[in-house]
Amino acid sequence: MRLAFILGEIGSGLRRNLSMVVSVVLVTFVSLTFVGAAGMLQLQINQMKGYWYDKVQVAIFLCNDSSTATGCASGAVTKEQQDNLAKMLDSPAVKPYISDYQFESQADAFKHFKEQFSNSPIVDSVTQDQLPSSFRINMKNPEKYQIISETFSSQPGVETVSDQRQVLERIFEWMNGASVAAMVVAAVMIFCAVLLITTTIRLSAFSRRRETGIMRLVGASKTVIQLPFILEGVIAAVVGALLASGTLWLVAQFWLNGDLSRQFLNTPFISSTQVLVIAPVLIALGGGLAGISSLLTLRRYLKV
Amino acid sequence: MIRFENVTKVYDPNARPALDSVSLEIDRGEFTFLVGASGSGKSTFLRLILKEDRATSGSVYVAGQNVANISSWRVPKLRRGIGVVFQDFRLLPQKNVFANVAFAMQVIGKSRGIIRETVPEVLKTVGLEGKERRMPHELSGGEQQRVAIARAVVNRPGILLADEPTGNLDPITSMGIMGVLDKINQNGTTVVMATHDDDIVNEMRKRVVELKNGVVVRDEAKALYTSMIPVVGESRRLKDASEAELDRAQGVQQ
Repeated sequence: MRLAFILGEIGSGLRRNLSMVVSVVLVTFVSLTFVGAAGMLQLQINQMKGYWYDKVQVAIFLCNDSSTATGCASGAVTKEQQDNLAKMLDSPAVKPYISDYQFESQADAFKHFKEQFSNSPIVDSVTQDQLPSSFRINMKNPEKYQIISETFSSQPGVETVSDQRQVLERIFEWMNGASVAAMVVAAVMIFCAVLLITTTIRLSAFSRRRETGIMRLVGASKTVIQLPFILEGVIAAVVGALLASGTLWLVAQFWLNGDLSRQFLNTPFISSTQVLVIAPVLIALGGGLAGISSLLTLRRYLKV
Repeated sequence: MIRFENVTKVYDPNARPALDSVSLEIDRGEFTFLVGASGSGKSTFLRLILKEDRATSGSVYVAGQNVANISSWRVPKLRRGIGVVFQDFRLLPQKNVFANVAFAMQVIGKSRGIIRETVPEVLKTVGLEGKERRMPHELSGGEQQRVAIARAVVNRPGILLADEPTGNLDPITSMGIMGVLDKINQNGTTVVMATHDDDIVNEMRKRVVELKNGVVVRDEAKALYTSMIPVVGESRRLKDASEAELDRAQGVQQ
């Protein structure tokens, strides 16, 4: 009976305060979408790190006929220089840092290039001897890139030593920045949401002061008097959180795994099921914030 | 049932206290009128019984319990033992008569079956049979006050507090309400009624407690609204006061 009564009270409260409730839903929706977007960016960064860090290599590019670097003054790399570099890679000074390495000839490089840019007209204008041959090194610890760079970049026949990780790091930094920005927007919006919930609960308590006054007089418990108001705020916020979760799922399902993954075939995007991990966090965050702010408001504005 | 021991209530430290060292005992089943001018402390007296306010000093006992020792989460239990009726009825305008009375039972968790059984019974006691489905605005003032009384007593409280329940009603309707209160009192409920209505007090001949500036100046059984015991110099004082008032009025005219 009491449960039915409380549910009825919530229903009438939501109906009477509809426009305020809708605004609470929308504000929590927007703010939690930003929180969720920040979360998704972090998931995406982790996903890409996991995927790429195993695959990234340090590459020692060797001189070819068209190289302009100072180490390449004597023209394309000779067989002797190449053997020398291979010997250095096997030497005790370097060997402990690398797990393995392969030599990629100009023919291999051309083949990879063609695969990678198969859709682009650039393939037709590039010839095999324009591409450098290289040593592809898998590091035991990618952080130790510096050692390889110092040892090899001044060797004859080496054009340049490049760490693919650095390129990725820049992307991750950018994504991190974006997720921080999303968090800042989210924080401002959450602040707005809390203020709005506070106002809504205040109005709701005011518009029902007759009922609560009578409830107090006939000896209704604090829970029975306050719970409808608190749940009103919590329900509005949870609806907002559900909308936010749904939006993020749609983004993951139809944008990340649709358009975007068709454009960036080699990038591992987070799946829409992974986004569902964020949803409970958003719901708990929305519901929790609404509950706490309603409770504090009632303590001030609803005498029990 | 209700006992005040040297109770003082101060709202504003710079003004005189609303109640000044009041000691009073009201027994179980008694019917007591609380009379006195506005600001004499009648409402404060009722608020202290309900623990709406706490006494500045002294103790208030309700049903043998010192209300100062009742923790805030047990105050609802205290209030379930006390029914309250106001001058302005305080019905819920969007609920019908039955729902208004049932509300008091719903919020303390009574089952639907008990509510269906009890509410018509109580409505019969207050003389509102057959009007369960009416809305408050369809009722006369007297009927509305009967609904309010039904709501106050539906949970069978030991005490009924009435704060000027006839203040908005004409004399004949008021007498009807008094009949209802008297009936409730006959059933064993202690009734405390604050009022200005001298006709009613004179008609009922119950105990009268008169407050003046926060002090009990009279406590008489089967009494009238004004004291039957002559106060020395009182009539002279009243005469002087009214003459002074007249002089002032004439002074303004000139």
